[in-house]
Amino acid sequence: MIARRGVTAALLPVLLVAAAGCAAQQKGAPRQEGGAVPGVTGTTVKVGGVLTKTSASGYSTKDAETGARARFERANAEGGVHGRTIEFIGAEDDGQDAAKGDAAAKKLVQKDQVFALVPVHAPNFGGAAFLEQQGVPWFGWATGPQWCGTRTGFGYNGCLAPKQGDGSQTWWGRQLAELLGGAEGKSVYVQTSDSSGSKYGGTTISQSFTAAGFELAGVDSGLPAAAPPPDWLPYVNKIMTSDGGGPPDVVVSVIAGTKFNVGLYGALKRAGYKGVLTDATSYDVAILKDPASAGALDGVIAAPMFEPFESTAPEIARLRQDVEKVAPGTPLTQHLAIGYWAADIFLDLLDKTGQDLTREKFLATANGSYLYENPGFGRIEYPKDHTEPNGCGALVKLEGGAFRVAKSMKCFDNVPLR
Amino acid sequence: MIVGYVLSGLVTGGIFAIMGAGLTLSYAATGVFNFAHGALGFLAALLFHELNAAAGLPAWLSALIAAGLFAPALGYVLHKAMFRGLARAGETAQIVATIGLTIALPALGLLVVDLAGLPPADATSLPRGVGPHPSVPVGVLGVTLDTDQLITFGFAVVTAIGLWAFLRHTPYGLRMRACVDRRDLAALRGIDPDATSALAWMLGSGLAGLAGVLAVAVLGLDATAYTVLLFASATAAVFGRLRSIPWTFAAGLALGVVQNLVAGYTGFLQEVTGLRTAVPVILLFAGLVLLNRSRERVAGSAAEDAPPPDHLAGLPPWRRRLPWAAGLAALAVFALAAPAYYVGVAAQGLVLALIFCSFVVVTGIGGMVNLAQAAFAAMAALTCGWAFASGLPFAAAIGLGVLAASAAGLLVALPALRLGGRVLTLATLALALLADQVLFQVDAFSNGTIGWPLPALGLGLADTSDPRVLVAVLLVLIGGVAVLVRNLERSASGRAILAVRSAPAAALTCGLSPTRAKITLFVLASAIAGLGGVLYAVAKGSITATDLPAFSGFVWLAIVVLQGVRRIGGAVLGGLVAVAVPELLATWDVSAHVGAILFGLGGMILAKHPDGVLTQLAELRHRKPPPTEPDTGLPVSSPAEGAVFRLEGVAAGYADCAVLRGVDLAVRPGEVVALLGANGAGKSTACAVAAGDLPATGGRILLDGVDVTSWPAHRRARAGILLAPEGRGVFPGLTVEENLRTWLPDPEPVYERLPRLAERRDVLAGALSGGEQQLLTLAPALVRPPRVLIADEPSLGLAPLLVRQVFEVFAELRERGVALLLVEEKATEALALADRVAFMRLGQITWAGPRSEVDGERLTAAYLGVG
Repeated sequence: MIARRGVTAALLPVLLVAAAGCAAQQKGAPRQEGGAVPGVTGTTVKVGGVLTKTSASGYSTKDAETGARARFERANAEGGVHGRTIEFIGAEDDGQDAAKGDAAAKKLVQKDQVFALVPVHAPNFGGAAFLEQQGVPWFGWATGPQWCGTRTGFGYNGCLAPKQGDGSQTWWGRQLAELLGGAEGKSVYVQTSDSSGSKYGGTTISQSFTAAGFELAGVDSGLPAAAPPPDWLPYVNKIMTSDGGGPPDVVVSVIAGTKFNVGLYGALKRAGYKGVLTDATSYDVAILKDPASAGALDGVIAAPMFEPFESTAPEIARLRQDVEKVAPGTPLTQHLAIGYWAADIFLDLLDKTGQDLTREKFLATANGSYLYENPGFGRIEYPKDHTEPNGCGALVKLEGGAFRVAKSMKCFDNVPLR
Repeated sequence: MIVGYVLSGLVTGGIFAIMGAGLTLSYAATGVFNFAHGALGFLAALLFHELNAAAGLPAWLSALIAAGLFAPALGYVLHKAMFRGLARAGETAQIVATIGLTIALPALGLLVVDLAGLPPADATSLPRGVGPHPSVPVGVLGVTLDTDQLITFGFAVVTAIGLWAFLRHTPYGLRMRACVDRRDLAALRGIDPDATSALAWMLGSGLAGLAGVLAVAVLGLDATAYTVLLFASATAAVFGRLRSIPWTFAAGLALGVVQNLVAGYTGFLQEVTGLRTAVPVILLFAGLVLLNRSRERVAGSAAEDAPPPDHLAGLPPWRRRLPWAAGLAALAVFALAAPAYYVGVAAQGLVLALIFCSFVVVTGIGGMVNLAQAAFAAMAALTCGWAFASGLPFAAAIGLGVLAASAAGLLVALPALRLGGRVLTLATLALALLADQVLFQVDAFSNGTIGWPLPALGLGLADTSDPRVLVAVLLVLIGGVAVLVRNLERSASGRAILAVRSAPAAALTCGLSPTRAKITLFVLASAIAGLGGVLYAVAKGSITATDLPAFSGFVWLAIVVLQGVRRIGGAVLGGLVAVAVPELLATWDVSAHVGAILFGLGGMILAKHPDGVLTQLAELRHRKPPPTEPDTGLPVSSPAEGAVFRLEGVAAGYADCAVLRGVDLAVRPGEVVALLGANGAGKSTACAVAAGDLPATGGRILLDGVDVTSWPAHRRARAGILLAPEGRGVFPGLTVEENLRTWLPDPEPVYERLPRLAERRDVLAGALSGGEQQLLTLAPALVRPPRVLIADEPSLGLAPLLVRQVFEVFAELRERGVALLLVEEKATEALALADRVAFMRLGQITWAGPRSEVDGERLTAAYLGVG
């Protein structure tokens, strides 16, 4: 009864595409037309960014726009780079949607004609393939593998998602070991959520702690990724018995979002946990506004990948001044710092590329043994850091409703990722 | 420890149970499965938070306002604006409209918060709950719970008891259950189904609000988290078979416990990423397949979705195609002339259009609503990427990708065979989530979060990295799919599919295989979606597991249905709209929330015009006046002096089929009129029109000289027109006592008259014998006699002894002044009782007169049609 004709016709478009596919080939990046360099005039360089300003989950990196603007404003106030000021057109919102990120990258490059994308800070950024193919440099926080192994994507602290065999960070474990007076005989438990991204984080971070000499009591990746579990009891119970029936000395949380951490830490404390709690996301002044969150997070050691704002380093004092100039009263956040330092590295590269600016020259400079050190974020080396993190980080501790610097920014050697 | 897991699991389960109970309640009472139930909860939670944090109200008062006042009020508004219309629309429109709400409601709330400058809803932090803040730990049976958990559990218990008391012991609850049991009969008993629906929506929405407020302390103000909560609650509702609130409640509690036990004891499952998270989804799927086999319609069809009239039917072919040819030409010019960026946007739209074509096949032609289309697209793209990365030629990789999507479609189609309607939709939803949470999390398949890079398609001279080439390729492909769809509709298989869709049983008896037809459609649609998915990846240059999330499948469906899902044109328009609207909003710098809200408004429009924008446009421009019925009214044979109830030239029918062609009847108080006629004469239709169960298309119906033609059934029933419908006029799911209470405030007098019913007062009416059921149908009339009693085939299927008993009841009612219209096929008993007789044939009264004038000859003539 079912017509053969229908089925054959269904196959037709498939065959058509397949035939086209036979001739498929990876084309090189299209050359810039004529002599004009997109986004570059005698007196300006145009840049714009892609951020996750809004998202269904509420996660937002919009502060990075303020950070980048603050850094660019200072550069412009100082007369620009090689006589060119930075024309910063702001950042697009990708809504944490890969397709929107791709569209945003295309808009910036094709419609707005920017020279480079600064800052790009979107966990699910979808424009990487397009930018790499077009040869457009992009600067930001390289949390995802789409950054790594490219020649155009520049994470301000390197590639944070190295492949197996490439370098993986040890600073977190080593900094904490120094803080605790040695890792000898101390156990660590790593809690991640049930997604491949978070599990990957669990692997690199476990390795960071074992490299520092901690003993791994356990890694759990059972937490639901989309929403916090309504009940923390099974997870807490597992942690509290992980180290030979007792609690571990250190619990590392690799789960994204304050509400997960507030839930986990609150439940752990109710269950009588007295050890060290550490994570990468709790360094956030917004937490201090809510007494319950601040209470749950009290004593937590957060691990920012930039010099903490409480630091006395002159670079940080200048960051504060720069931000105060463009957006008075803005609270300093992790995302703001990321935008600021990404812009800082871009400016340094612009300076080192020289007066005659094209994307090819810019990329050749960046990818030809580039090294830049700054106490704000440690150091960055390209092309090395296209495939591994820069290995630098700091620790801050939340105590009595305020953050204080526990360990200042310091860089350590990476170890190959197993 | 297991005690601890069970105890604290019950707390979590309390939230699932409250939300699931609301879902079941609103579905059972109104027939609309509300995908936006979680969004209602989110909105209530948001209001709770703002009242508490911004307005400074105490937590208990904020909770009371949000869950007790706001949520029911919102339910009422949505009922008036949307759900009421949806109850009459097809399943596709219902699903799409509530999905639209899921997106629009949270956006509306967040936009208001933005515009009013209220403290932003930070989804990443945890707001306070109803209890003390920070919450205080409390030891219960050796388990440490906190005060918020205790409050949640307390509310779950109170809700369970409250719902039980409301449904079992209040007239409102009885009416609601009567509507759930037999909606049409409820209206005939004077119960306003609309008011009952409104109440159900208020109550259901209130429960969603309560669950939302209780959950906010653990979930945060995160709309996604509330959607996840909805899926868990849907699992509970499915285990309650979408009918039983106690079972839903129990299933909700059990689900909480199961989740805890899985989290606590299945560490060995940890290797498979996502499997443990997906436990509710797996249970949802299992529950659907095992418990919810559709008993009535097995085709998985949406037969209520009658195709819209073709408003363009009178136009010549070239005129019908002109707009599309013009559109295509405009697109071609645009692709050549516009800047690369805009051509790229158009290409993106056409990629979506290609994927949307698959909806035309599965939903537009097949009448099945599939929410897993994004999963098919992702499946194909990932398979293609994986195969290409493993060294296969690109052409082979593309073929393999499309094949993989087809295979996945086959797998989805297999359970679909057993399921119908909404259950099928929920099953595809479960599979889509499962693919997202488990299959695409397998690193070897999706290459972790990196995904697979894909090259451009080369066509000799050019390749698809040039968006112009991509547009051309896509247009060719969409054209191919359009030809395919046209052939499918016109071919034997297409007709087979349409047959299966509209009448599965009839199709089966004609030797058509619904199984094969459905499988073909599903596989074909998945292949098209897969092809679209591959091109999506090619256009983007790479594919990752998160590029095409399951939720985008819902949004896609909504966009296509809004444009019109029955034609390829709707899919193309949908694809272009899907990229153009966000682009325009971004250009005009409008908040992204506004786009989401517009989308929800689309859902509301859909409630009124379920066939989409394209049909709507065609209708506006080319609507033909409805064909006028020839006036066939015969002269009234006997002027009925003092009649309490009259039909005057009443015409009515079903869809295109006219049944009544001008019926005149009159019944006086204390008189029995027997309406006789052969099978198919239109007697039951006359009854239905008289009682308001079926609208009259012509003529008038008068009660005491008042024109009641436009009155709905429940209003006529309240005015005293009682119909005892053909078959049995009882609510099988209610007890004898409850059946009586739908018409009588106090059933005691009935028990005095009919001790047999008194003995069985607590038995479900469905368990009574046929005779007892018929007595139960008529018994209330004895105690509270109506003005007019219409009895449709009251003796059907009853033993002679019982028939006599039933006619004794009629005789008594006549004594008490009731006007009786007695409809019978078998004339003997009716004639014995009747004062006057009317004969009916082919939808008209052929003779009416006193009983005394009826003799054997006239009777024969009436039945054989020779009079």
